Amino acid sequence: MIINHPLLGPRDSAEFVVLGDACLIDRPDGMNAAIEEMHDYAYIRDNPAGEHRELWYHEQGDRSWLVVTRSTLTHEVIEVELARNVARARGRSR
Amino acid sequence: MTQAMRIEGGMVDRERTLAFSWNGRWMTGYRGDTLASALLANGERLVGRSFKYHRPRGIFSSGSEEPSALVQLRDGAAREPNTRATTVELFDGLSATSQNHRGPLAFDLMAANDLLSPFLSAGFYYKTFMWPKAFWERVYEPLIRASAGLGRLSMKPDPDAYDHGFLHCDLLVIGAGPAGLAAALAASRTGLRVILADEDFVPGGRLNAETHEVDGQAGADWAAGAAAELTANGNVRLMTRTTVFGAFDHGIHGALERRTDHLADAGDRPRQVLWRIYSRRALLAAGATERSMAFGNNDRPGIMLAGAVRAYANRFGVAPGRNVAVFTNNDDGLRTAEDLSGKGIEVSAVVDARRGNVVVDTIGRSGIRAIRLGDGRRVETDCLAVSGGWSPNVHLTCHHRGRPVWNAEVVGFVPGGELPPGMCVAGAANGTMTLAATIREGHGAAVGISEDLGAKGSPGTPAKAADEDCAAAPFWQVAGLRKRAWVDLQNDVTTKDVQQSHQEGFRSVEHLKRYTTLGMATDQGRTANVLGLALMAEAAGKSIEETGTTIFRPPYTPVAIGAFGGRARGKHFRPFRLTPSHNWAQENGADFVEAGMWLRAQWFKQPGEKGWRDSVDREASQVRKSVGICDVTTLGKIDIQGRDSAEFLNRVYANAFLKLPVGKVRYGLMLREDGICYDDGTTARLAESHFVMTTTTANAVLVFRNLEFARQCLWPDLDVHLISTTDGWAQFAVAGPNSRALLSKVVDGLDLSNDAFPFMACAECSVFGGTPARLFRISFSGELAYEIAVPARYGDSMIRALMKAGEAFDAVPYGTEALGVLRIEKGHVAGNEITGQTTARMLGLGGMLSRSKDAIGLRLSEREAMNADDGMRLAGFRPVDRSVILTAGAHFLNPGDPADMARDQGWMTSVAYSPELGTSVGLGFLRRGKERIGETVRAYSPVRDQDVLVEVCSPHHVDPDGVRQRG
Amino acid sequence: MAEIALEAAPVLGGTSLELSGNRIVERDDLAIVSIATPLGGEEALAEALRNGWSLDVPEPARSSLSGTVRAIRTSPDQMMLIFPHATPDAEAVVQERLGGTGYTTDQTDSWIALEVAGPDTISAMERICPLDLQSFEIGGTGRTVMEHIGAMAIRTGDDAFLLLSASSSAGSFLHAVETSYRYVT
Repeated sequence: MIINHPLLGPRDSAEFVVLGDACLIDRPDGMNAAIEEMHDYAYIRDNPAGEHRELWYHEQGDRSWLVVTRSTLTHEVIEVELARNVARARGRSR
Repeated sequence: MTQAMRIEGGMVDRERTLAFSWNGRWMTGYRGDTLASALLANGERLVGRSFKYHRPRGIFSSGSEEPSALVQLRDGAAREPNTRATTVELFDGLSATSQNHRGPLAFDLMAANDLLSPFLSAGFYYKTFMWPKAFWERVYEPLIRASAGLGRLSMKPDPDAYDHGFLHCDLLVIGAGPAGLAAALAASRTGLRVILADEDFVPGGRLNAETHEVDGQAGADWAAGAAAELTANGNVRLMTRTTVFGAFDHGIHGALERRTDHLADAGDRPRQVLWRIYSRRALLAAGATERSMAFGNNDRPGIMLAGAVRAYANRFGVAPGRNVAVFTNNDDGLRTAEDLSGKGIEVSAVVDARRGNVVVDTIGRSGIRAIRLGDGRRVETDCLAVSGGWSPNVHLTCHHRGRPVWNAEVVGFVPGGELPPGMCVAGAANGTMTLAATIREGHGAAVGISEDLGAKGSPGTPAKAADEDCAAAPFWQVAGLRKRAWVDLQNDVTTKDVQQSHQEGFRSVEHLKRYTTLGMATDQGRTANVLGLALMAEAAGKSIEETGTTIFRPPYTPVAIGAFGGRARGKHFRPFRLTPSHNWAQENGADFVEAGMWLRAQWFKQPGEKGWRDSVDREASQVRKSVGICDVTTLGKIDIQGRDSAEFLNRVYANAFLKLPVGKVRYGLMLREDGICYDDGTTARLAESHFVMTTTTANAVLVFRNLEFARQCLWPDLDVHLISTTDGWAQFAVAGPNSRALLSKVVDGLDLSNDAFPFMACAECSVFGGTPARLFRISFSGELAYEIAVPARYGDSMIRALMKAGEAFDAVPYGTEALGVLRIEKGHVAGNEITGQTTARMLGLGGMLSRSKDAIGLRLSEREAMNADDGMRLAGFRPVDRSVILTAGAHFLNPGDPADMARDQGWMTSVAYSPELGTSVGLGFLRRGKERIGETVRAYSPVRDQDVLVEVCSPHHVDPDGVRQRG
Repeated sequence: MAEIALEAAPVLGGTSLELSGNRIVERDDLAIVSIATPLGGEEALAEALRNGWSLDVPEPARSSLSGTVRAIRTSPDQMMLIFPHATPDAEAVVQERLGGTGYTTDQTDSWIALEVAGPDTISAMERICPLDLQSFEIGGTGRTVMEHIGAMAIRTGDDAFLLLSASSSAGSFLHAVETSYRYVT
């Protein structure tokens, strides 16, 4: 597999480590979240046949976490973004 | 030895005679020969025995599709079975033998199997070896194993080297026949970076085997000229002897290059290189493979594909027979007769199935002598050239599950469905069966790709050639067969097997394949599949279109496991990481243990010590008595800087970190988001916004990854920065009551008194008169202890200097085993306890969990089940009989209870012999363990056959109040 | 104990190999200091680099060179300065010119630097390096994994690269590089 890194261009997936569903960015605030909400964050994942947003870490590269939008049916990589930008766009800050 | 069948012409170098041995007899051939062409030149027709019936078999094809001429190459450990004689390039000294026979090839004792053929039909094993059940292991399996298989492995380690590598290109052209060459020329001229790969050792494909002209010259000469231009262009990597065997995701292709297989002496260089080719586009120009037809006894040596007959005559200058007959269902077959006549070889008959003429049977024992025609006539011949049509080589188009579609005009499957992204197909592989059209298609495809990729150069014009006749008819088998007719030569599958499979209800092509083995093994049925499908369709009264085809998967041709392994063998199987004191440890009798990729000293053997326990007991005792030194460089070290570093740490550790003072170290516990502990370590605050974290050796990479996740994905606007410094600092634990005295001789001008530098203090300092260092007062052993770090370049010098400074105290180096003993005695948890299944409460660290902040895992650590009072708790254990050596992994049971899971009380995680206490001690998890100190329970290990009584005690076997480490 | 002074030792003992006209040399004279960019401090750091070394902040996958000081971009908010320097105070030397505009960490001892050069360099490196080194411009850099070992490659000439890899696995890394040359020459 090739992941088209937004800063570095196409890189072999062997340089990356995959974590899974990008919903892990949306971590509830542990002080205020209901325990059920925290439970769902920790355990519940969609398993779509088709487009899936995933977190990949460029461990053997520039150490960027990326959000890779990928088709689980064809392996097509549709979009690759810096996870930090995605997190900020989703309202995460400090 | 004369080459009796050698004729004029061809592409062999008659100046370069090569000697080779076949079944122990020396023969000669020429440079440019394959083993197959050299054997034919020497009149060797019988080259092997068939898989199941041990029928005599000869050379059937001239390429990698060969089903029959499988031979063993080389001798001793380098012996390689099941290689195709048709692809083996001849070299001086080559040694080859035939396989799959007992006794001489011509008188195979196993040939009796052929007489049993009525019983050995499809599904024979499944039906026969069902009963009695007990016979399977003792009788049937050994019997089958003895008679199965083809060649024999040497059973010795492969002495050859293999390698792998990575290549990049804009366009990968697969196949250097007319379409591939035309495409590579056009793409190269436009400026694309091209890789042109071909499995043959000469580019040109069928141009070398035919008498066609291209651009007014012989096809082979044009191909040589094209290859020369490609090489000269500078942007093309022309790779002969290279099979592209798989099309993987995103333009990645696997290719095997045979680098030195054709050399008498490769030196130490790798035999084969497995390439991972990154291509933006790929053009499949793999040509087509000819197939046979089903007629009686169509498997005898001397029966050959017509295209192969032309290849041997035209390319290799070898007459496959003196008196050749042709049996064909297409125009292509007719050209064989013309080419042979042109070479002065007699053609005894041309039998064209399209005119109702057929061959019904062949006569001969170890080779064909005559054929019987449909009208009953007998025609003498020593070589029958058969053409049942050509099947496009669509294999790589199927590697992403594209399904080929039937094309009635081509009489073959052509690429269909979705091709691998970025791949297109040209030439015969695409069902374009004539020369001029093939060249135009290759050229056109390359022009299109160049435009897509924005290449600006002029592609030139495609080479000129004529389109030959190529009409073909869907004729598969001779009607009313009375003799056995083979479909798949390699697996001995006959038309009867296909019919039987249908009768027994196997209606899917995939089932046909599994039941009859049609299309399996080294050739993957390349000359057989379409014929088998056609017969199945006939039997079912369906069209081939409806029947469909089996899917092709990588590899296109076999790839040696050694090539996949590449260099990764022996001690270079994987990299090693060495600690800065490695050389010194080696000089001082260390035994090393693998800890991940690290090699760590596990003990230092002294003269007179008989076993490892002697060394470990001595080391652990000396630490408690005086002082010991241990290299702890392998612990992960992460430099953390930034304005928000403290806040960040407070969110990734389950205990409080916000208010850690500068100059102090704190033990920290990390949880997963599900509330389970996964790592622990210490973090030191060197400055207001500068921390140094340590992790366990095993989790160094994982912790760094998780911290980056937290930094980038969870709190992207915290100003915090991470960099690994694990390798940068040589770090040594100095532990024992004399550690302060020792270090005071080492550290420059720092007051080490307990008041000035108390337990959990840290400082940046220098040692031995100016070398920068970091000092941490932390203890894993429970003793007064420090860890001292210097830049790794001084590590070797540092261990020597420390040991010298320690001479006055009889300081010992200690290894990972003594480290383990000391921490078990002290009751510190490690990997055996922090298993990814244990909570802080279980570990006795529940009090550390902060209730006043949000940190990873804290919320879910509050869950009820994880906080139940009857849960597992860390405890210490000692055998009631102090002489017993405890066993890790033992389960605890209440005395008197039966040993079952319902009554399980926990398990022992770590054990060690404590020299301090003179007994074996253990740590473990026991239900309500904290409340049960003083009780006696059973430690039961059926695996180690141990069942002993143990006393429950505090996990802190030594110095439970922590007086020593604070002293 | 003034009589003892610690001595620095190159990780690979100052290895220098000649293989059929190609060279593999351990560069133990280079200091490496990483600089992390404080959030919001990008411009101040860039200015400090310009003033301190006449260096631009390199683009991703690039390096910039000023005299003998090279800056390479290692991540979106980190770079490394590589320069000849003998004593273990490289970080202080860098911080002196940065004046607190970047977070520095001495990485000299974390890495081994191998200079590889010679006509077979591309052929040798393609056996272990998945990056397209052939299309690197001079100054181009990439971090990847070679033979299971993390490594950085910087093109320093037509057929010359500076390779950086973790110092603890330097022996295995040297073996990988050396074997590659032996296999192609």
